[in-house]
Amino acid sequence: MSSDLRVVGSGGYVVHVDVCEDFSMECVGRAHKLYYAILRELSGLVDEVVLGTTSLAVYYDPRRVKASELVASIRRVWSWAREVDLGELHRPRRFTVPVLYGGEHGPDLSFVARWAGLSEEEVIRIHSSRAYTCITLGFTPGFIYLGEVDPRIAAPRLETPRVRIPRGSVGIAGRMTGVYGLESPGGWRLIGRTPLVMFDPRRSPPIPIAPGDEVVFKPIDPEEFSRLSGVFVGEYSS
Amino acid sequence: MVHVAGFATVQDLGRRGYRALGVPVSGALDRLSAAYANALVGNPSGYAVVEVFGSVRLRLTVDAVVAVTGGYPRVFVGDVEVAPWTPIYCRAGSEVSVVPTGRGYVHYVAVSGGVLCEEVMGSASTYVRGGFGCLGRALRPGDELSVRSVRVDDVWERVRKARPPWEVVARSADPGDPATLRVTEGIHSHLLGDLSTLLTSEYTVTPESDRMGYRLDGPPLATASKLGRLPSTPTDRGYVQVPPDGKPIVLMADAQTTGGYAVALHIVQPDTDILAQLRPGRRVRFRLISLEEAEDVTSKYLAELENPVLAVAEEEYWT
Repeated sequence: MSSDLRVVGSGGYVVHVDVCEDFSMECVGRAHKLYYAILRELSGLVDEVVLGTTSLAVYYDPRRVKASELVASIRRVWSWAREVDLGELHRPRRFTVPVLYGGEHGPDLSFVARWAGLSEEEVIRIHSSRAYTCITLGFTPGFIYLGEVDPRIAAPRLETPRVRIPRGSVGIAGRMTGVYGLESPGGWRLIGRTPLVMFDPRRSPPIPIAPGDEVVFKPIDPEEFSRLSGVFVGEYSS
Repeated sequence: MVHVAGFATVQDLGRRGYRALGVPVSGALDRLSAAYANALVGNPSGYAVVEVFGSVRLRLTVDAVVAVTGGYPRVFVGDVEVAPWTPIYCRAGSEVSVVPTGRGYVHYVAVSGGVLCEEVMGSASTYVRGGFGCLGRALRPGDELSVRSVRVDDVWERVRKARPPWEVVARSADPGDPATLRVTEGIHSHLLGDLSTLLTSEYTVTPESDRMGYRLDGPPLATASKLGRLPSTPTDRGYVQVPPDGKPIVLMADAQTTGGYAVALHIVQPDTDILAQLRPGRRVRFRLISLEEAEDVTSKYLAELENPVLAVAEEEYWT
């Protein structure tokens, strides 16, 4: 009945779930439902649940529960969670992220414009004219994966990743856009930067944006960039 | 006061519960050695210790019980050589030095009371790339670290004859060459097909290895080149990724929380501690075990991390 999930044990303390084989926002929505349903129904049984883009990992203590039981529990949760609306499991919030596009903060904006055959202004307009869904957070602290980018500006990632990308940088990689929560290496095409602090390890939670939430980008000028420097994303209102 | 020649950070057993925000677990690379270092000085096993690649010299400004574990380094208090894996009673003003011997790669210094420094998201583990946890960076000469205040004589009475089981020292100091690491199939084994190259070959730890991952050199897994980039999946310590060049990368303590490379194998957690002790040039091979066996060894390992098992010895070190 829920044979569409691929659920496998790994390493003696992880159950990995592939929700579908290929990336699509429809699949992301299904992964979000399973994620929030597991958090709600199985939190007493599992240690941590982590989302990929179309998959999730359930970390467990094998002294408390075995993979075989957990696989059955996950399939049972999915049998009803797949039928409900995400809104019943997670009430999405909307965040506005101001961005200074181009220049030193967006060194790849001109590439994306050339790749798209558009002007830089059109790329900015297209990028900032829709609300994106937070697909997941990860690889580094507070990096948000957002989708889905307009296919006209869905430029491929860099061949060779940059060693150092400043925190707050906004990038594009195919149909995804994202924001670097902390300085890190990375291969996304950088089109701008937000002055907001996206991830603050000393706050609880360090970042308020959760999978399923919405993010809207708002173009700003250098003056506003300076004025908003250091404002926490959870405390900014446009 | 610290004198460092190498790379030293403060670590505990890791930062749990924040992977969903992209925060790596971090913590000691060889967790069992860190847990035993704490046990030998009377601390709970999750207290913060100093993790050292290379050598380090620490000057104590208070009386303390100290233990050095992880591999089998030479340990000196002043110019008196003492044994690793042993509680040492040190007077204020003593200098404790750790000098690598080639047996093992990463060493732990625990002090009674434990290192007391800024905890972020519930852990003092230093995540250098993120710049947070304890000092948020590697230790530098001249740094001063605080320890919790304890009644040192009481601690010494309790631990002076404590010793770890010999197997614990041996697995860290002399894990074999090649060392055998137990694995289960990884989350993408179905996409990679035949894993026999990985399971029958020897691999060598390369110098491009750090707290984030240990890179291995050896026969490439041919099927990896056809896969390219996959949708990002959650990743964890012990995942054996194979990028398109087919050469395995084992994710370690500071591993990213999600990744886009195929995961061929998953090293069981206790054996990631063994890998941590293999310096560049050392060899490994993989041995496939069942999921049930992996659950058994993980259960025993977690129990031992929480409650290290100490034995009683005759000699003691008092300097």
